[in-house]
Amino acid sequence: MLELFSTVYEVFMRTYPGFLRATVVTLQLTAIGVVLGTVIGLVFALMKISGSKILQGIANIYITVIRGTPLIVQIMFLYFGIVEIYTMDNFWAGAIALGVHNGAYIAEIFRGAIQGVDPGQREASMSLGMNRKQTMQRIVFPQALRRSIPPLGNQFIITLKDSSLVYIIGVGEIFSLANREAAQSFQPFESFLVVALYYLVLVMIFTYLLRWYENKLDVDKA
Amino acid sequence: MIIGENIHKSFGDLEVLKGVDLHVKPQEVVVLVGVSGSGKSTLLRCFNFLEMINSGKITIDGHTIDPKKENLSKIRAEVGMVFQHFNLFPHKTVLENVIEAPITVKKMKKEEAKKLGMNLLRKVGLEDKADVYPSKLSGGQKQRVAIARSLAMEPKVMLFDEPTSALDPELVGEVLQVMKQLAEEGMTMVVVTHEMKFAKEVADRVIMIDQGTIIESADPKTFFENPQSERTKQFIQLVE
Repeated sequence: MLELFSTVYEVFMRTYPGFLRATVVTLQLTAIGVVLGTVIGLVFALMKISGSKILQGIANIYITVIRGTPLIVQIMFLYFGIVEIYTMDNFWAGAIALGVHNGAYIAEIFRGAIQGVDPGQREASMSLGMNRKQTMQRIVFPQALRRSIPPLGNQFIITLKDSSLVYIIGVGEIFSLANREAAQSFQPFESFLVVALYYLVLVMIFTYLLRWYENKLDVDKA
Repeated sequence: MIIGENIHKSFGDLEVLKGVDLHVKPQEVVVLVGVSGSGKSTLLRCFNFLEMINSGKITIDGHTIDPKKENLSKIRAEVGMVFQHFNLFPHKTVLENVIEAPITVKKMKKEEAKKLGMNLLRKVGLEDKADVYPSKLSGGQKQRVAIARSLAMEPKVMLFDEPTSALDPELVGEVLQVMKQLAEEGMTMVVVTHEMKFAKEVADRVIMIDQGTIIESADPKTFFENPQSERTKQFIQLVE
């Protein structure tokens, strides 16, 4: 037991400069995946509630295809598929794949949050003479945004962990580093244990920040 | 002020309003009563175009409204509505609730709107709650804010859809008091309520709706003491 602890410690101390650099890459992938996913998600959520059959159809196809196929396939498809038309950095291919993937899930989060706002809110707003656009902008969206923060936070954490899958196209984030370290040092157990700890700490920090933000919003409202 | 002629409204196969005629005169207070499902709330919602009538004619302040052609937002701004469940905006403070529509719809300056808002909150006795969020208010206070919010648009007529039905009994009085004060100031009001005491004291006319038609319409004294229809007699016995 003590021996295991000391070898893990040894691997940790030897690898941390590389892991810290790779952590930056992981966080960049996550940030781009989240921001891009939020933008795409918002667009598709609006399409789904637009009332236009064509826009709804497009959004449904997108959401069904993305949610119905594995992320790793989407990463490979985007990387090798797009390279045919446009030479793309593997980092950007991975980040965009994460964003496109997230977009489908976030679209459903936003749609649920918008439709979850009490219909009485819309009625009250309309009865005051506000038109559909004003009602959405001033009354429905601010409330929907609040409601979508907990599930969005959950999705952010999933994205952080999912970013490990882009190792398959050779992006130098923390999982690919652990993978390489495991092969080179013949210490796979220690290497993957160390990378698991990195993910765990990052997720805990994220979770803490999200909880703090949710509490802050509630205090503001109360 | 509001004239409804031969109003029909169906939800799917269910015909809720079967040719209702109602003429509300300026400054008149009309109380609509009836058992639940009789169509009284639906009638109120038709007057505000939250529900679209299937056939018939609605005239507001001398202006017959064609829902397909008109800007309904503009018409709704002239017809205030108070809901059973208040429907205050939870993400806005009490004062922000009141001044939202004057600023967004009427493009009123914020300072001016705030002054108007504070005056209205004073009127409903809640000026000290201007900066709190609705979640901190009692049901009675919420409903008084909702009334102030409606009044901020200076409507020509106010519709009340069971304004006290969701309230604890001890909070009903404060809301009815505000409504009574409004009536005394000459506001035209159409009120759906189960508060018979309010009907007797404040209404100019009490109307009984049953199965989608008006079966009794009279001043409160006649309505309660000498009702014509059997159904009205039964109803009065039931609620008193």
